Amino acid sequence: MIRFLKLYEKFGIFIFIFAGAVFLAFATPNFLKLDTILNIIAQGSYAAVVGYGMTLAVTSGGFDLSVESVMALTSVFLAILIPVIGIPLAIVASLLVAAFVGMLNGLIISKLKVNPLITTLSMMTIIKGVALLCAGGKMIVILQKQFMSIGTGKLLGIPIPIYIMVVFFGIFYLVLYRSSFGRHVAAVGSNENAVRISGVNVDVVKIGVYVLVALTSGVASVVRTSQALIGMPSMSPGFVLVALTVTILGGTSLTGGRGNLWGTLLAAVFISMIYYGLNLINVQIFYQMLSVGLVLMLALFIEGLRLRYLKAAKAKGIKV
Amino acid sequence: MNTSLELLRTEQLTKIFPGVVAVDAVDFDVQAGEIHALVGENGAGKSTLIKILGGVYLADSGKIVMDGREVAFASTHQSQVNKISVIYQEFNLVPDLSVAENIFMGREPKTAGGALIDFRRLNARAAEILSTLEMPLDVRSFVSDISVAQRQMVEIAKALSYESRLIIMDEPTATLTEKEVRKIFEIVKNLRERGVSIIYISHRLEEAFELADRITVMRDGRKVGTKAAAETNKDEIIEMMVGKVVRDYFVKAGAAARTDVPLLEVRNYSVADAVEDISFTVHKGEILALAGILGSGVHRLLQSLFGVIPKKSGGVFFEGRKVEITRPRDAIRLGIGYVTEDRKNAGLLPAMSVLHNLTIIIIRALSLLRGLFIRDKEERRRFEGIRQTLDIKTAGPGQRIIYLSGGNQQKVLIGRTLLTDCKALILLEPTRGIDVGAKAEIHKMLRALADKGLSVIMTSSELPELVNLPDRCIVLYKGRKAAEFTRETMDSEKLVAAQIGHAANDGGARP
Repeated sequence: MIRFLKLYEKFGIFIFIFAGAVFLAFATPNFLKLDTILNIIAQGSYAAVVGYGMTLAVTSGGFDLSVESVMALTSVFLAILIPVIGIPLAIVASLLVAAFVGMLNGLIISKLKVNPLITTLSMMTIIKGVALLCAGGKMIVILQKQFMSIGTGKLLGIPIPIYIMVVFFGIFYLVLYRSSFGRHVAAVGSNENAVRISGVNVDVVKIGVYVLVALTSGVASVVRTSQALIGMPSMSPGFVLVALTVTILGGTSLTGGRGNLWGTLLAAVFISMIYYGLNLINVQIFYQMLSVGLVLMLALFIEGLRLRYLKAAKAKGIKV
Repeated sequence: MNTSLELLRTEQLTKIFPGVVAVDAVDFDVQAGEIHALVGENGAGKSTLIKILGGVYLADSGKIVMDGREVAFASTHQSQVNKISVIYQEFNLVPDLSVAENIFMGREPKTAGGALIDFRRLNARAAEILSTLEMPLDVRSFVSDISVAQRQMVEIAKALSYESRLIIMDEPTATLTEKEVRKIFEIVKNLRERGVSIIYISHRLEEAFELADRITVMRDGRKVGTKAAAETNKDEIIEMMVGKVVRDYFVKAGAAARTDVPLLEVRNYSVADAVEDISFTVHKGEILALAGILGSGVHRLLQSLFGVIPKKSGGVFFEGRKVEITRPRDAIRLGIGYVTEDRKNAGLLPAMSVLHNLTIIIIRALSLLRGLFIRDKEERRRFEGIRQTLDIKTAGPGQRIIYLSGGNQQKVLIGRTLLTDCKALILLEPTRGIDVGAKAEIHKMLRALADKGLSVIMTSSELPELVNLPDRCIVLYKGRKAAEFTRETMDSEKLVAAQIGHAANDGGARP
């Protein structure tokens, strides 16, 4: 049993994916096609990319509610700047704007010691307002058709967003598991006092975390904006919940200190599979949302049982 | 004393925890309307005894007799119903509620309908209790806004609101100023006049003698004796407290270990609300203990030296140079390590592995390209080195730190500082909460490190550790230097006397 639970901690999300895939394969003949599968993965790429950032934030013991507003702001800046300074520079400038918002989050949380929930909640509202102001309250159409290739183009038959998702996975994997910064992030999430006594500059670590989260939001926004060719000041309402869902479903501990980046990636694909798959078999959107909520609750329920079982086993003196 | 006045007595009361008999066949009694001081070293069993009376622990054997009837308290509530109130050091108050609400928590007077709290009556009744104690305190102020001494008063008022006949106070004055202590004394004496019995735990002997009618001394879980305060003196009580401390149970210093080369000099150092004008020097390869009971300021002094809390004034010289340490990073850069007394809240990274816990302090230096790529092999090598030096018992580097024993966790924290190649090591309570075997191991290890030239500054609340481990021991009392002992002049009775403010006959080599 303990062995199973340990495996579940690492690979639990596979069980969900597998079960979902089997169900959809039986439910619709269209599911097991390369195009469908690639589409599902590509659709999951935004959630994955923002999920990486969110995973980092949750590992550091905080989280970031402002991601969707940062996405909206980036989108508006892209639409405004592309006609003026060209596509590459506009992308860079918009990402810098996103990073700046992240830095503000980090500064407020670390220097003013404001709770991350309150900080990023206020920032979410403020930035949403700023995005609407900049866009004059309406969507801005982008006329430069080349920009579309980022979100809809393919390379060797595989959609570009999948490449972006994979490349950022690599970057975040290095950051979280292979760099001293990532080690500091996990340590801050585990016990901030202990890290401070170890001479680590906790404030810098936190600021770095929120800058990176904002950057992932910016990148996801570049992809989405390019697909729609519209600067959207009200992009992706509720997306923060998707980012949090994939992080938690992926197995990152909400109490901080332990991030599971693989889990986040797989959970993003899984959520996308539920939406896309249920769409394929013509289930109404309401049921799609309902099922994602149920899956999250189930995952947390199993996690709760797992922890209780391990605790009981430990109390009985069974080595875990 | 007339036995008919007896309020409560325990007979052969015993409580056993895994590996230790915390309270060992204790016969203890309290008379109606007396102040009974309970004294003893740390670990003597005082806290366990009062927790049994307070219903926190159930005794394993023996009985409690109250008013001639045998009683047993399975919960704090049952103890309260029997008119016993315990005021612990960590107060049992809700900071975000008012004084009055705290006093009548769960028993607030209700309005006619019974649904709402009648605040007018609540405040009036709270004010009435406070006025009988002559406590000038606004019952509507929030507990979070009042001082520690005032919180103490609220606890006392709460006890009185239950019409308690026995109030047990655990070191009520440890963190109070002199003026506040006087106020608490007045209140305690006032309570006695009203016929309330008090069990008063204190580390400060002069308080016990000023207040108490009788004094009971505990040691190693046993009751050593009970004396009428008028018929005994401080020396006798100290002798009873200390008993015979076994010397030489630790490893002695190597012959040439201690040098006379100063490493760290602290001059006229003050920390707000903790210590005033402290000066001392630590030499290379020396183990220096700073001893002091709660309220002596020792912990805050050491925290301040490492930059955890700010200093008020004074200078620090390290290797002859004047240095400013304003945060832990400054101290680490200089070559000063620090091991906290609070492993759980300021030491361990509970979610992480033993390896990651150990190397967190040097992980950046262990990586290539300014922290970009951690060198795994180097990290493992450093881990192995420390694991072998300190003999850390772990299933492997990947094991979660929380699954290690307390002793091994402590070794990891000491190992963490050693990774920085520090020259001085500040250790707060190096063996708190770990078993006897691991204690001896850590002592041996510290001695070995000192023999290799490391300077150790430590503090401990355990007498054997203070008597046997250090080369020198400086005692602080209420923020000032009270005595100093060397290995040659070390005397456990005098050490205890100095710690509890009875330094009149301190025979130590006082500078």
